[in-house]
Amino acid sequence: MSKHGNASSFISLSIVLLLVTACAGQRETYVVLPDAKGQGGSLLVTPREGTPLKLDGAYASAVGKPGSSPRPSGLNEQEIKAQFGEALSARPEAPASFTLYFREGSDELTADSKKDLDKVLAEVRRRPAPDVIVVGHTDRVGLLPDNDRLALKRAEKLRSELLRQGLPVDSVQAAGRGEREPLIPTADEVPEPRNRRVELLVR
Amino acid sequence: MKVFTRLMVSLLSLPLFLAVVPEANAQAVGWVGQVKVSRGIVLLERSGQRFPAPVGVRLRENDVVLTEANGSVGLMFNDNSVLSMGPNGEVLLERYAYDSTTYLGAFDAFVKRGAVSIEAGNLANAAPESVRVKTPQAEIRGQARSFAVNVEGN
Repeated sequence: MSKHGNASSFISLSIVLLLVTACAGQRETYVVLPDAKGQGGSLLVTPREGTPLKLDGAYASAVGKPGSSPRPSGLNEQEIKAQFGEALSARPEAPASFTLYFREGSDELTADSKKDLDKVLAEVRRRPAPDVIVVGHTDRVGLLPDNDRLALKRAEKLRSELLRQGLPVDSVQAAGRGEREPLIPTADEVPEPRNRRVELLVR
Repeated sequence: MKVFTRLMVSLLSLPLFLAVVPEANAQAVGWVGQVKVSRGIVLLERSGQRFPAPVGVRLRENDVVLTEANGSVGLMFNDNSVLSMGPNGEVLLERYAYDSTTYLGAFDAFVKRGAVSIEAGNLANAAPESVRVKTPQAEIRGQARSFAVNVEGN
């Protein structure tokens, strides 16, 4: 084939490709991704027109176009990672979780946990726009409402500490869960140091 | 004895306890999420006005987040749900309701254009299908905690 022939077939191929792209127009891709534990799960894609499609398992995917039902996309894992690469790389870092322990019936941290508080503060300083969720708990010694109050008092104490370190007031949320969510399940009125705690989620 | 002491304290502090309870439930902060990652040009549209959206900006229901050709953004919501978006994207935070005690609520995001990935947080612990994504052509929900949609040609 002549040089000229090569050029003209390239041009006609380009025109065909342009037409195909223009006709494709609106196009949507739906993908199941593995979660933090590597699990896939299922997803139901319900189009405005046409029949819903269920996707099952990690990297199952479908494409949808106006006026037609979604159909399997045939994309493989690498193609999906390429298509969503920039979105996935912008995912915020997972929250860091800390547990600090308290002396019995008190909002005073144990000696060990006073040291661990420094780790929490270091994590807060490391993050570009930190916010913290503080949830207080108690063991099952005492009355339920009493423990609700103590749990909140513990959470508020740590909240004050975080605010003192310079976190904005609306970046720290404190809540008390009383004796409802023991780390170690016990019978009522059993003292359990591991349940006298505050859980902090640094995000 | 200890129990007795605590009982007395609890009786004595009953009025205080009653005063404290509404505060304990006053979990509702004024915002539903926050920009945690912001690269290139990222904008926030609220009440018809557009602002730059650098790291740290707080989000409200009905906010629209937009990325330009060089932009990408990562949002974290109060229930630890995460939404991130690549370039040339536009997403409306149509509905966000979250009860931090029961984990009940709903999160609806409308992806108008762009590639968006979602990782559902505590909302999905209470009800797996409470985190939903809508697009111009479909609605996506399910048991999957992590999923993505790409809307092209809009």
